[in-house]
Amino acid sequence: MSAFSNPKSVAVALAVSLCGLVSAVHAQDIKIGYNADQSASGTAELGTAGRWAFEAAIEDLNKAGGILGRKVVGIIRDDLGAPPKSIQIMNELIDNEKVDAVVGSANSGNALAWLHIPQQKKVPVMVSIATATEITRRYAKEPQNYLFRVSMVDREQVALLVAYAVKASKGQKIAILADSTGYGQGGARDATEVLALHNVKPVLVEKYGPKDTDMTSQLTKIREAGADTVIIYGIADGSGHVLRSMEKIDYLPTTLGTWGNLSSLLPRIAGSKLAEHLILAASTTEDSNAKAKALGERVRKNFPTLTTFACSAQTYDSVMLLAAAMKLANSTDGEKVAAALEQVSGVQGVIKTYDKPFSKTDHEGLGVADFYLARWKGSSVVRYQDAITRSITPADLKR
Amino acid sequence: MVAILQAVFSGLALGGIYALVALGFNITHSTTKTLNFGQGELLAAGTVIAVSGVMLLAGKGMHGTLDPQDVTLWRYAVSLLISVVVLGLLGVLLYYTAVRPFIGLGGLSWVMSTLGFGIIIQNTALAIWGPSAMVIPSPLGDNVIRIGGAGVLPQEILVVAASVVVMLCLDTVMRKTKIGKAVRAVAHNKNAATLMGINVPAVVVLAFAISSSLAGLAGLLIAPITTASVFMGLSIALKAFSAAIVGGLNNARGCMLGGFLLGLVESMVGLWHAELREISIFMLIILVLVLKPEGLLGTRVAEKV
Repeated sequence: MSAFSNPKSVAVALAVSLCGLVSAVHAQDIKIGYNADQSASGTAELGTAGRWAFEAAIEDLNKAGGILGRKVVGIIRDDLGAPPKSIQIMNELIDNEKVDAVVGSANSGNALAWLHIPQQKKVPVMVSIATATEITRRYAKEPQNYLFRVSMVDREQVALLVAYAVKASKGQKIAILADSTGYGQGGARDATEVLALHNVKPVLVEKYGPKDTDMTSQLTKIREAGADTVIIYGIADGSGHVLRSMEKIDYLPTTLGTWGNLSSLLPRIAGSKLAEHLILAASTTEDSNAKAKALGERVRKNFPTLTTFACSAQTYDSVMLLAAAMKLANSTDGEKVAAALEQVSGVQGVIKTYDKPFSKTDHEGLGVADFYLARWKGSSVVRYQDAITRSITPADLKR
Repeated sequence: MVAILQAVFSGLALGGIYALVALGFNITHSTTKTLNFGQGELLAAGTVIAVSGVMLLAGKGMHGTLDPQDVTLWRYAVSLLISVVVLGLLGVLLYYTAVRPFIGLGGLSWVMSTLGFGIIIQNTALAIWGPSAMVIPSPLGDNVIRIGGAGVLPQEILVVAASVVVMLCLDTVMRKTKIGKAVRAVAHNKNAATLMGINVPAVVVLAFAISSSLAGLAGLLIAPITTASVFMGLSIALKAFSAAIVGGLNNARGCMLGGFLLGLVESMVGLWHAELREISIFMLIILVLVLKPEGLLGTRVAEKV
């Protein structure tokens, strides 16, 4: 009786040979991880918008023959907006999946929780959504900083928001209301420092819990302090509740908010009328060029309710920049790719053509020049312009 | 002045929710000397069930988004009824699986088993609904009503009104009707109640069903204010439990008082220093426990050995 007359041994033999085949194929592939909240917190919509653009970018790379002739594989993980989960995923992606690079984190707090992992293990990371200033700066003094970003940057959006606030407020009565997470408090610090550059001291800095729904007491104090302009530093759900509380106490000062308010949670919580009251910082829109429009349509196939297109564009461009760096380095070695990222130039992205976007000291792909103010109008975000926005000059954008 | 009035309104709305859930703790405690530590998870489950009910009634499917015009009063009421019934049944299930096997055994097995039941419910809900928050507009609209300069949402008035009405009804039932007397008799002495021809197991099951339904009711009432999510229950249940301790776990009126008191303390302290809210609440609890361990309206029970 030959070994193959037994069906069981055939199956075993087949499985063994398949395993060998699969691992052989995997050794050839270039793996890029994606780690962002796609389901849980107020940034889930941002993470989901990024996720489908991530897949689109990889599809495009493979259509063009992959990177260095190797197939690109995306490994997508959902960190549920929880820092411990995000850390666990980062370890898993680097140690078990052996990814060559990581794109991601929608929540700044999550990114700040795992920054040390890719830095120590020398895996380049493209942060395509999270905005905390510290993300690219913490390891800026190391011989090689492995953290890069193509996204809104807190310090840069603060520069824009504060420039507007200082011009909008009569008598420089500006208050800051931030959520109590690392993101909100970091932003409040940035805003206070940038206000100081304009020689303005906020009349009051207040905070609220990320799960709070009634901010009337904080807003009452802000009103009593005489503020006519309020900068809210938080994500969409918190800002939505702040707007509702403002309406409750019949206090609607000029209100400025962050880029996170692109999430449709804002109009859903505050109602579309109140949502229109908030002026927010934005990075890019779908109507800015033909490439953007096409990407928006592709993402919308999988995610029909997309309102956070900026995250899609930034994630797409992040993958393209990584690919360009791998080609330039002619390697997927983390150290070489990170060094190459600081050299890449002429990379065609959706947002713009990146001409030497990164340097040894600056790992931000986008800057205040790429940003503008926007506002909700019904179910979409549109560019916001008034006499004040038109009067803002580069000199006003102190940071 | 307006600020204080504003804080009073916010505190009452919050307090109404705490009071309802605290009442649920009181009902099971007075009949079985046990508490459902999974009350918060039941509350969350009841809420997401009801929100899905509204979505299904509005023809939006399970994971749609609700627009204000989708949430009509009758859809809200029907969903509320569905959620109260489902929660009542869950309460019965909870009793038979997690409480009854341990009654009279001494020890604290029921603490663990009710906690576990809550976690099972939460994870089941997580598998069905996912972790994200669901926004449900209020059936009464979002137009702020001005009272003495302070703004109140119609939903907040509904929360206070509904919780007061439910509490008054329960209070009347407990004090005036035969079934209420039966519940009190069981609470007082099970053996004597059995000898008087009261169906003790039936009364106890009823207590768990009511307790859980109250959680479901509280959840849907607060959802238009806070948004609904699988994780919304824990902090509410913890505050409600604190309210029950402050007011007196074995006194229904005490639990209600405790609920409103905690809600008011929370919003008043928030007016002064937002970050001191939780600290002040738990300081108050410790203070009450030291000075009057049975709670403000509770009666001291002499344990006979």
